[in-house]
Amino acid sequence: MVADLRVELCGIPLRTPLIPAAGTLSRETLGEAADAYGAVLPKTVTPGPRRGNPPPRVAEVASGMVNSIGLQNPGLEGFLRELGGYEVGLPVFVSVAGDTVEEFSGLCARLASEPRVSAVELNLSCPNVEHGGLTFCAGPESVERVVAACRAALPGTPLFAKLASEGVRENSLAAEGTGADALTLVNTIPALTVDPHRREVFLKGGLSGPAIKPVALRSVYEVARLVEVPVIGCGGIASGTDVAEFMLAGAAAVQVGSSSFVREPGDILSELSGYLQGAGLSAAALTGSLRDRERVV
Amino acid sequence: MKLHTAEVLHREAFGDHVLLRYRSDAPGGPPEPGQFVSVRPGGSTALDPFLSRPFFVHDSEGTTTSLLFEVRGRGTALLAEASELSVSGPLGRGFTVGGDGPALLLGGGVWVAPLKLLSRSLSRLGVEHEVFLEAPASAPAAYGSWLSGNYPGAELVPTGGAPDASRQVLDRAGDLSRYSAVYVSGGREMLVAAREAAAGRVPAQLAVRERMACASGACYGCAVPVWSGGVRGHARACVEGPVFRGEALAW
Ligand SMILES: Cc1cc2nc3c(=O)[nH]c(=O)nc-3n(C[C@H](O)[C@H](O)[C@H](O)COP(=O)(O)OP(=O)(O)OC[C@H]3O[C@@H](n4cnc5c(N)ncnc54)[C@H](O)[C@@H]3O)c2cc1C
Ligand SMILES: Cc1cc2nc3c(=O)[nH]c(=O)nc-3n(C[C@H](O)[C@H](O)[C@H](O)COP(=O)(O)O)c2cc1C
Ligand code: FES
Repeated sequence: MVADLRVELCGIPLRTPLIPAAGTLSRETLGEAADAYGAVLPKTVTPGPRRGNPPPRVAEVASGMVNSIGLQNPGLEGFLRELGGYEVGLPVFVSVAGDTVEEFSGLCARLASEPRVSAVELNLSCPNVEHGGLTFCAGPESVERVVAACRAALPGTPLFAKLASEGVRENSLAAEGTGADALTLVNTIPALTVDPHRREVFLKGGLSGPAIKPVALRSVYEVARLVEVPVIGCGGIASGTDVAEFMLAGAAAVQVGSSSFVREPGDILSELSGYLQGAGLSAAALTGSLRDRERVV
Repeated sequence: MKLHTAEVLHREAFGDHVLLRYRSDAPGGPPEPGQFVSVRPGGSTALDPFLSRPFFVHDSEGTTTSLLFEVRGRGTALLAEASELSVSGPLGRGFTVGGDGPALLLGGGVWVAPLKLLSRSLSRLGVEHEVFLEAPASAPAAYGSWLSGNYPGAELVPTGGAPDASRQVLDRAGDLSRYSAVYVSGGREMLVAAREAAAGRVPAQLAVRERMACASGACYGCAVPVWSGGVRGHARACVEGPVFRGEALAW
């Protein structure tokens, strides 16, 4: 028997529950990995082109990495010209970010008329220029403003709000209450690496990889019990059993980021398939079927 | 990221410098000089250390590939001991080989690694070339003789690790306008000095390194400042590089 890997997300059928996490998919090598994925999710797009941060941009840490890329991207129009490169017969989800609420809703309005886009994900971990550079997911009021504006601009397309682990309960309720169709949990965690020899900051950025898995898992677990909309799990997923753990905790689908730099997503999917066969379950049946123990606090 | 299992066939150490030869049945043609591979210890799915390590292809013949690397931290220390590897590549854009000659090859430190394959490609095309390598001050004598053996005809320039070492190597090469092309793979100082010396006189190609995470164009971690269409931007060393034309770099 072959395991049934299909899941559904906001009415979109996905061949597998694996989605590339924003900013971790290579257009150059998409063809090699496409078989493993249920959807394609390219790097966050901003209204205009961004050059990104000067190097260094990445640092390895125990069980993961820190990055500070600075959203280098060709801007929305440049991205739409390249969109064909992401079409491999899978639904395309587009991650967007702006400096202001208006920029976010403008991006959504433009994508509303783009039939090749199956869903839009709001990267709310970027700084809100109108609010002293705090991120858009720094608090529920800010989340409500941006999600409500984007919902109005994008009435007919599924809208995902991607949040950080900090304040995830309040922010998830705020996003759901203002019209998000799904929640992606979580983005990277603020982190710092230091060069002790030069006595300098090496990199101020976001932590990702297996190091953040327990934090991400806890966010998914708590929020899935709190909201009605589906949760997409993300953070440190590096194996088939990691995928299963996130789905058991309540995720309807998952995103694989940093680990796709060092493992083939197809291997992660095979492991998931093996797990499901052993358990005699379909992928969809995993979601939220985690049994609680009294000792879990 | 496509990974292939490779078996280590041979290992030789010269102080901190390690020469590693492995066999892999990965499909694909032979590497271009200047391309690199991304490597991690094999035989396990443990992700520790988390990232793979990039190295230039030093040599390649059939299914065997050699790397020349310096042990710096934990990743290279583990690779120096490994009997099985997990390899991705060859990756990136290497040197563009051709022209009438004579060409000049400048190398320094462990970065001489990709020049062996380059020298062989030039020879195959009948392009006359001269090779000047900065002989590392710290390396054991055996490494010096190994270098001479592996880069036949190369002139080793003992700089004693002086601060102007790159300058000394450049001076030995003489007037750059004598050459039809300059290929450089050395420390940052050598890349900068050679690029400046070649500017407006002779086309230069430089092997540039930057820290990498995915080595496949996904993460945008390996940003190299470049000019594109007259404006400053960032190119990815792993797909648009690691070899860049001197005038393309916005250093
Ligand atoms: C395209 C390319 C080709 C290279 N070719 C060679 C080669 O032929 N021979 C050789 O000796 N070295 C080469 N390097 C450098 C080599 O990758 C690093 O020395 C090695 O990754 C250090 O790993 P470590 O675990 O020992 O050191 P650590 O300092 O513990 O590594 C920590 C992290 O920093 C990264 N890092 C550290 N130093 C460098 C560096 N100088 N460049 C890039 N990343 C670094 C590591 O990859 C790792 O992610 C190359 C680098 C690049 C980008
Ligand atoms: C190199 C890199 C670039 C990223 N770029 C983006 C991005 O553009 N937009 C975004 O929403 N998240 C971005 N992220 C965060 C990931 O999508 C993901 O939320 C995070 O890395 C946690 O998952 P992981 O542990 O599987 O990597 C990036 C992460 C990395 C490592
Ligand atoms: S290392 Fe990821 S884009 Fe080059």
